[in-house]
Amino acid sequence: MSEDGLVKTGIKGLDAILLGGIPKTNVILLQGVTGTGKTLMGVEFIYRGIVQFNEPGLIVVFETNPDKLIRDAAGFGWNLEELQEQKKLQVIFTSPQVFDQEIRSPNSLLLETASEMGAQRMFVDGIGLLNPGPGGGNAPRGGYRESLQQLIESFNRENLTAILSLETGSTPDAFTTKETTDYLVDTVIQLGRDRVGRRTQRSIEILKSRGQDFDPGEHTLQITGGKGLDVFRRVQAPLRTSSKQPTSSTMRSVIGVDAVDTLIGGGIFDGSTTMVVGVSGVGKTVLGTQLLREGSLRQKTRGLLISLDEHPAQIIRNAQTLGLNLEEQVADGTIQIMFESPQELNIDAHYARIIELIEEHDIQRMVIDGMTSYSTAIGAIDVYRDFFHAVVAYSKQRLMTTFFNYENPEFLGISSYMPDFPLSSIVDNLILLSLVEINNSLHRCISVVKSRGSKHSFDTREFVIGQGGISLVPLEHNPVPALPLQSYSSLLSRAPTRFSLPKRANGAPAVQD
Amino acid sequence: MREDSRELSVQTCLESLGISLFSEWDVLAFLYHHKVSLTTTDQIARLIGYESAAVSDALDRLERERLIERSRPLQGVRLYRMLTQTDARRQRCLRQLVSLSENRAGRLLLAKRLQPVRSESGERKIG
Repeated sequence: MSEDGLVKTGIKGLDAILLGGIPKTNVILLQGVTGTGKTLMGVEFIYRGIVQFNEPGLIVVFETNPDKLIRDAAGFGWNLEELQEQKKLQVIFTSPQVFDQEIRSPNSLLLETASEMGAQRMFVDGIGLLNPGPGGGNAPRGGYRESLQQLIESFNRENLTAILSLETGSTPDAFTTKETTDYLVDTVIQLGRDRVGRRTQRSIEILKSRGQDFDPGEHTLQITGGKGLDVFRRVQAPLRTSSKQPTSSTMRSVIGVDAVDTLIGGGIFDGSTTMVVGVSGVGKTVLGTQLLREGSLRQKTRGLLISLDEHPAQIIRNAQTLGLNLEEQVADGTIQIMFESPQELNIDAHYARIIELIEEHDIQRMVIDGMTSYSTAIGAIDVYRDFFHAVVAYSKQRLMTTFFNYENPEFLGISSYMPDFPLSSIVDNLILLSLVEINNSLHRCISVVKSRGSKHSFDTREFVIGQGGISLVPLEHNPVPALPLQSYSSLLSRAPTRFSLPKRANGAPAVQD
Repeated sequence: MREDSRELSVQTCLESLGISLFSEWDVLAFLYHHKVSLTTTDQIARLIGYESAAVSDALDRLERERLIERSRPLQGVRLYRMLTQTDARRQRCLRQLVSLSENRAGRLLLAKRLQPVRSESGERKIG
C-alpha cells in the first residue's frame, strides 16, 4: 500500500485512471458480460499484489477449476503454483452455498485462512452465484443483499481489499443482482466488449469509487498474451496537471532547415505546433526527416518520427538516398522511429505508446507523418479530432516542438488546408508545400501562411529536393520584378494572372513610366 | 509383459500411497486438482458421483495416510488441502498416478487394480 492510503492494483494503466490506486479496504465490483476479462483482472490484481507489493492474497472460485486457472495464468507468465507453495497465495475452490454459509459464520474458515497467511487482497470470482434467483433456492427474500452485506463487513473487519466479479446477463434476476451489488460495493468497474466493424474492442469504465476521484469515461482495455492486461486512458481525457500550461516567450528553436527558418522569421517558439500541408510527393516527409536530423545534430534535441505508412527501415533507406543519414541517430537513440500499422489501430493504445516513447527518451521534437493515415484508420471525426487535440495539448505542456504532415488531396492549388478534417486552426504554424506548373514542368514551392507570434514572410519560395534534403532556390534566379496588386487579375479565384503590359509608341512597357 | 510391469508399477504406487478403493482414488484426484477446497462431504460426493458415506470413509483414509489435511469442521464445512509429500517416492507415485488417470485407458487400469465401490443401490461405480 502506498503512503496515500491507496492500494495499487499493479495492472498497467489502471492505477493511472484511478489516480494512484484504490482506497484500502474498498470492495470493488468488476462487472461485465462473458469474455470481458473479469477473471483475468481479478487474478492479475492478486498476482501483482504479491509479486510487486508483497501483499498476500486469496482467490475464491466457484465455477473455474483451479488447475485451469493456474494453467491460464501461466500463459501470462504468472506462476501461481510457486506462490501457493510460498504460502503467499491460496486458490480456494468452493460452492456458492458453502461460501454463503461460511461468510455468515463469525468464525469463518475462509477468513481464518486469510488471517493466517496475512492476506491483504481477495478475489471472489462469480459473486452473482450467491443469488439463488427466483425459485433457485431456499434463501429468504433479501438473502443475497444480506449475504453481500455480511461479506463486505467481513472484508472490512479483516482489512482486506477485495474484488468481486459479476457476470451481467439477460436472466430475469440479473438486473436486480447487479443493482443490489452496485449499490453495496465501494467501487464499480464496468468491463465491456464491443464490435467495431468486424473487430472486437474491450473497454473499461469506472462507474463509481467511494473516497477518491478518478478518470471517468470509457477507456481501452487490452489483453496481451504473455503479459497481462493493459489499460489505456481514453485519448479525450484532459491532461491532469496542477501546473499551468508553460509558454515559451523569447526562446526560439532554429529548425535547422533553411527553407523553414528563412520564411518563418528565424525559428519557431518551443512548444509550438506546426502543420505542413501538401500534396503527395511534394516533400513533407523529407522536411520532417530533415528537421529531426538537424535537431539531433545541431540543436542536440531528441526526436521522434511517427508513421502509419512506412516501416523504420524504409524511412531510413529513403532518407539515405538524399544523403540524410538517420542510421547513426537511430542507433544512438537520439531519433526514435515509431511505426504502427493503421489496420485495427486503437487510438487510446497508440496515443499511450507515443507518450511512453516521448517520456522514456525525453523527446523534444516530434514529427507525425502523416495525419491523413490517421483519418483513414480512425474513421470517426470526433475521435480523430480528440487525438489531434490531445497531441497538441501534450506537446504544449512539455514545450515540445511538433510537426504534423497532412496530405492535401488537391493537386494544383487548394481550396482549403484540410478539406476532410478542418483542424488547421488548432496549430500555431501552417506551412504550405505546393506544386506549381510552369511551362511544362512542376516546381515545388513553400509558403508560410500562418505563424502565431512571428513576423514571418508571406513570400512563396521555390525549393528543390536534393542531396541534404530541401533547399530554397536563391532569389536571384527569379528575376521577374514584382508588380503592384493592380497589375493582376483573378486574385480571389486563386489563379492570379498578370496583365500584358501596354506598350508605348516607342515600344517601351508602360509600367516603366 | 509390458502391461504387467506397468500394472506392477501402478500397484506399487497405490500401495505406497495406501489407496485400495477406487472411491479413495477419486476423492484424492478431486482434491489434487482443486488443491484447496472449502466444502462439505456431501458437496464432494455430489460432484464426483458417490454416496456421502463412501466419500467420508475415503477422506478419513486419505487423512490417515497424510495425503490431505482437513480443518476443524464448521457446520459441516471444512477446508481440505492436499499435503505436499515429503517422501520423494510417494510424491513421484502421486504424480504418476494422476497423469495415468488423465486418460480413459489409465483410469481403466486403475479400476482394475482397485476394489470397486458399491452404492446403496448395488450399482458398481467407477467414477
